[in-house]
Amino acid sequence: MGLFDKNFREIFSAQLFSIVGGIIVGVVLAVYMDKIFLIPGMLIIIPGFLEMHISGTFASRISAGLFLRVINPKRLHTKLIRGNAKSSFLLSITISLVLGLLAFLFNFFILKVLTPKIILIPLLAGILSNLILIPLTLSTTVYLFKKGHDPNNIMGPFITTAGDMISIISLLAVILLII
Amino acid sequence: MKSKKQKTKQETPPIEDLRKITLLERKKHHPEVHEVHKKYNISRRTLFYVKEYGKNANVSKTIIKESIKILLLASVISSFGGLALEQIRTLFLSITPLLILLPSLNDMLGDYGTVISSRFSTMLHEGQIKGKWQKNKDLKKLFFQIIVLTIIAAVLSSSIAIGITYFSPEGISLQTAAKVFLIVLIDMLVLTNVLFFVAIFAGIYIYRKREDPNNFLIPITTSVADFSNMIILTLLIIILF
Repeated sequence: MGLFDKNFREIFSAQLFSIVGGIIVGVVLAVYMDKIFLIPGMLIIIPGFLEMHISGTFASRISAGLFLRVINPKRLHTKLIRGNAKSSFLLSITISLVLGLLAFLFNFFILKVLTPKIILIPLLAGILSNLILIPLTLSTTVYLFKKGHDPNNIMGPFITTAGDMISIISLLAVILLII
Repeated sequence: MKSKKQKTKQETPPIEDLRKITLLERKKHHPEVHEVHKKYNISRRTLFYVKEYGKNANVSKTIIKESIKILLLASVISSFGGLALEQIRTLFLSITPLLILLPSLNDMLGDYGTVISSRFSTMLHEGQIKGKWQKNKDLKKLFFQIIVLTIIAAVLSSSIAIGITYFSPEGISLQTAAKVFLIVLIDMLVLTNVLFFVAIFAGIYIYRKREDPNNFLIPITTSVADFSNMIILTLLIIILF
């Protein structure tokens, strides 16, 4: 049946990237466990916060625009790109806020503790991580396209891993700042 | 020569026609799009992009409107998964290799969900799934590929996490290491099977309703992966520790 074909090798390469990136994020979680998990409810926030992948869809829309020639790689200050970046930023902030609210409600109704800081932590971390992630995604996608690569093949695993790392560092930075 | 000239004329971008498309209502399917596609051989994807994000469109509003519901649903689902882990918080945080593995497990299972969904959607579009899907050779091959990859990924990732914990000041006992390895292997194998069946049944159902499975299967399978991963992890931790 030829199990170990090109598809197998491609999926395996992407998996290796996910494993390495995920383990690095996991080590950060383990090392700073006493700080990150100090407030109850962080286990509700972290999976959703890491899995947002808004930058992935942003990269995919930019790639489609580049291939369809509606986006000029030499002109990045256009209405289309600004609109894409703005929406990705607003979506990330909204989802971060919702995650914070869900954790707050869980703490309040189930654990009977009032933790308003848990709303602020993902919100500020979402703002911080996206201030880095959105320009990084845009520049990397355009750079790869200019170099003749298909950003769709590379940006998926790259942005998942980079996104996870930047998100967890932002979360940690905000926690250290607030607590 | 004349025919070549005519052909060149036909390939010139029809600015007026494209302008008309940008003025169409975004949600409505309009015959104009089909006509321009046929007449000038411009891909439907390009025309879709022109219609969706044209001169008169509010780009950010369009994107937010289309994405917000599915993103909210996905974040609520993953939060419910996190709720399960939160119930065994102290026990979970005491098993360092599993904490190290949590982000990779989520990423890997999400990736499998995406691969299975997009490959099965393509099979449906190409008409490869006829009659009994169980007998389809390509689907069987994809299934075995994913299972082999799952086993390799489970062995590799758990070995790295156990290795890191072993060399850390807290160390790890052989018994805990074996339990972690078993949890990761069972969790990943159960979930890849679940993802496969969800993708097949939902994919066939959506395709029969004449919708594009690509638009639904990836959010469905990744949400199922996120949620079920944490539920299965919680159950396995309770059983084994």
